Amino acid sequence: MDTPTVVSIKDVQKTYGKPNEKQYTALKGITFDVKQGEFVGIMGASGSGKTTLLNILSTLDKPTAGQVEINGQAINGLKGNQLADFRAKEIGFMFQDFNLLENLTAYENMALPLTLQNVGGKQVQDFVTSIAKTLSIDRLLNKYPTELSGGQKQRVAAARALVHKPAILFGDEPTGALDSKSAKELLDTMAQLNEQQRVSILLVTHDPFSASYCQRILFIKDGQIGQELVRGDRPRKAFYQEILDTLGTFNH
Amino acid sequence: MLLKLSLTGIKGRLKDYIVLFSGLIMASAIFYMFEALATNKSFVSSNSPIRMASIIFQIGSVLLGIITLVYIIYANNFLMSMRRRDYGMFMMLGAKGRKIAQLIAAETLVIGMAATLVGTVLGIGLTRIISNLLLSQMDIQVKQFSPFYLPAVIVTVVFFMVLFVMAAGVNQYQLLKTPVLQLLHNDQQPNHVSQNKLGQLVQIVLSLIFLTIGYTMLINVATYQIAGLVVALVTIVLGTYFLFNAFFGWMLRLLKGNQYIRNRGLNNFTLAQLRFRIKDYTKMLALVAMLFALALGAITVGIGYQSEIPAMAKTMAPYDVVLNQPNPQARQLAKNLTGVKATANYDVKEDAQTVYYRATQLKKNPIMAVQYSNDRAKGIKPVQLKTLQKGNVAALQAIQVPSQFSKDVKVVTDAEFSQIASGTIPIKTYRVKDFMANLSVIKKIHTQQVIANPELAKGQGALMDGSKYVNYQMANGMFSGLEFMGFFLGIAFLAMLASCLMFKILSGAASDVKRYTMLAKIGTRRSLLKQSIAKEIGVLFCLPGIVGSIHVLFGLQLFKQIMLNPYQNLWLPFTIFMILYVGYYWVTTWLYQGIVLKTVTQ
Ligand SMILES: Nc1ncnc2c1ncn2[C@@H]1O[C@H](COP(=O)(O)OP(=O)(O)OP(=O)(O)O)[C@@H](O)[C@H]1O
Ligand SMILES: [Mg+2]
Repeated sequence: MDTPTVVSIKDVQKTYGKPNEKQYTALKGITFDVKQGEFVGIMGASGSGKTTLLNILSTLDKPTAGQVEINGQAINGLKGNQLADFRAKEIGFMFQDFNLLENLTAYENMALPLTLQNVGGKQVQDFVTSIAKTLSIDRLLNKYPTELSGGQKQRVAAARALVHKPAILFGDEPTGALDSKSAKELLDTMAQLNEQQRVSILLVTHDPFSASYCQRILFIKDGQIGQELVRGDRPRKAFYQEILDTLGTFNH
Repeated sequence: MLLKLSLTGIKGRLKDYIVLFSGLIMASAIFYMFEALATNKSFVSSNSPIRMASIIFQIGSVLLGIITLVYIIYANNFLMSMRRRDYGMFMMLGAKGRKIAQLIAAETLVIGMAATLVGTVLGIGLTRIISNLLLSQMDIQVKQFSPFYLPAVIVTVVFFMVLFVMAAGVNQYQLLKTPVLQLLHNDQQPNHVSQNKLGQLVQIVLSLIFLTIGYTMLINVATYQIAGLVVALVTIVLGTYFLFNAFFGWMLRLLKGNQYIRNRGLNNFTLAQLRFRIKDYTKMLALVAMLFALALGAITVGIGYQSEIPAMAKTMAPYDVVLNQPNPQARQLAKNLTGVKATANYDVKEDAQTVYYRATQLKKNPIMAVQYSNDRAKGIKPVQLKTLQKGNVAALQAIQVPSQFSKDVKVVTDAEFSQIASGTIPIKTYRVKDFMANLSVIKKIHTQQVIANPELAKGQGALMDGSKYVNYQMANGMFSGLEFMGFFLGIAFLAMLASCLMFKILSGAASDVKRYTMLAKIGTRRSLLKQSIAKEIGVLFCLPGIVGSIHVLFGLQLFKQIMLNPYQNLWLPFTIFMILYVGYYWVTTWLYQGIVLKTVTQ
């Protein structure tokens, strides 16, 4: 009946700077949930706090106040190795600039999250080849990143983010460095993964086109959620238009 | 304005600058220490039994100069790796290229000059401390040595100034030549390195062949002489180069091929990093291995000579102590000797031409003499009375004072002895188990002996007092000079080469930040990241260390001719070296982790 919640954040605040220094509150109480299998987008102007929010969600940074739960586990109490292990197991990451290791092949890059958890060699091979097939990069496995195009690199990065079956995939502008064709291909694949494999995705983006692939979009303004758009059953084109309209009014 | 910006830039990287600065200070301090020995001709010539010593020091000086040059290049690269982005930024903001170039030159020169001056002063201090330490620890005597030596100061300061002026020029030129965009994004990434398998195989075989030839030459240096040495030098250098260029890459590939190793934690990443590094560092690692061998060799040989002294003392004279006409103080002191194996008393009478000994005493306690075979001392044996009576009386010099050496010797019966109309001189000999253990007592006895027999004080050359103590002192004087030099040479080289390696590795750190940050983001434990760094740097330090040590083990063959046993007490120099080298490794790792994991918060 009820779909489980993979990400739940309540009243999260983030203030930068030590108490005796100049302080800046980047997040001023943010609350929302992501259900399993949802594809959620986060939009907002530059400096509105998107990266800050994503860093907190991905346990790279700690909130000043508020609770964060991922896959049912409160992450406030975790520290050090627990935190790293938690990240390694539950979270998948895609970066704007791919962040692949140039001295490892695509295969080795994708295997990294598994070897970090000391998964056996046979299993590594199974997992990597299966995710590579899903993302149609199974021909590229033995190539080094320098031999790949931007779109191919980001697919490898997506595969690396998903190979260990994380509870949620976070992306910070993953299409930011891609041309529009590669961006569209990547988004199609993500949407397909989301629909067919019920991968939960949280995407931070500037780009209305990318955002139109989401089922739900949260708009952040000055550290708070200003508005929420839900796609429902509408076609993507219509949703895209609505996003554009919202952005027009929202930012002014 | 630009100056202010530049200063803020420096402030932001204060820690890195402190590393750089202290590295440069150490370099000039070490260079000074070495020059304080090398440029001091009277020291070198008065402390060395080998005429070659001053040549050795000149060669050492040139070598150290070259290492220092390499070192400055790496340190300078490190400086530039920190500043490139800043400078690129200034240029983006519209600063004039020429202005920036001036700024760079000024920065390089100011840092260089300041480091040189501080380093020279530190060098004088270090030289004093280390020489005092060596002098007090090891009963070493060094002549004509003073920590402050003006020519050395001048050489050091001038040499470094020239280097830094050159570095400033190079930096200026490079910066003006490089496009701004490249300055801003200078992540020269460790790409994967593709290797031609056949070429690699050829190189591996070549490296093994070259090393075998080189080592064979060293072992058989007696046969091949100088030609062998030249061949050894060339083949070992080439062999070392190929070893690093191909062999270690191949070994890493083997490791990578192992499923079990590859699929653990970050191993795959670490191995990939290493493969890139070793390829990139080939020349550097080969150089470090060679210098490591030279430095360790110098210390080993130096210490070797020192530890030869007791062994040599054993065969330098048959008796540990000979009391010739002793005064009461000497007799008293002799009671303090420990581990006495044998004593003997002899009565002697003497007139203007002849020294008389009693046959009964020489029969009862035969005189002892050093046995030789093939020019090498082979232990102490008693001399038959018959031999002495036949006229072979050289052995008796062991219990004579120098003025008696030229007199006739007569071995007489007790009756004849009592007939001789001169006073009886009592002589007592001692042989102890451990000469070195009794050294301080023996030294005091010798002082008393000189008082009782004033002629001993002027004993030199042919008329030298043949006692073991005097022999020991001579050898000690000569060899401790050698040891002192070996130590300085070795430590100066080691410090330089390890610093070179350190800065070479640290210069790569800036471009690694992104990689480690990403690994942390995908959930790698901080401890695992640190481990990976420690392993990577560990291998980079280990390989030249191991290769260098093997070179030394073969290189010591060269000294088999001059030393009794060059392999004796090997643990001592190796341990000293290990401690210093591991210290450098540890500091490098720590600094690298600091740079690379700075942004990895947890
Ligand atoms: N480490 C920090 N220390 C102090 N202030 C910070 C820090 N990181 C971010 N900020 C501030 O917090 C605010 C939000 O930053 P954040 O990076 O989250 O914005 P963003 O929405 O990701 O912007 P963009 O779209 O440009 O990436 C900004 O005003 C920024 O100046
Ligand atoms: Mg951002």
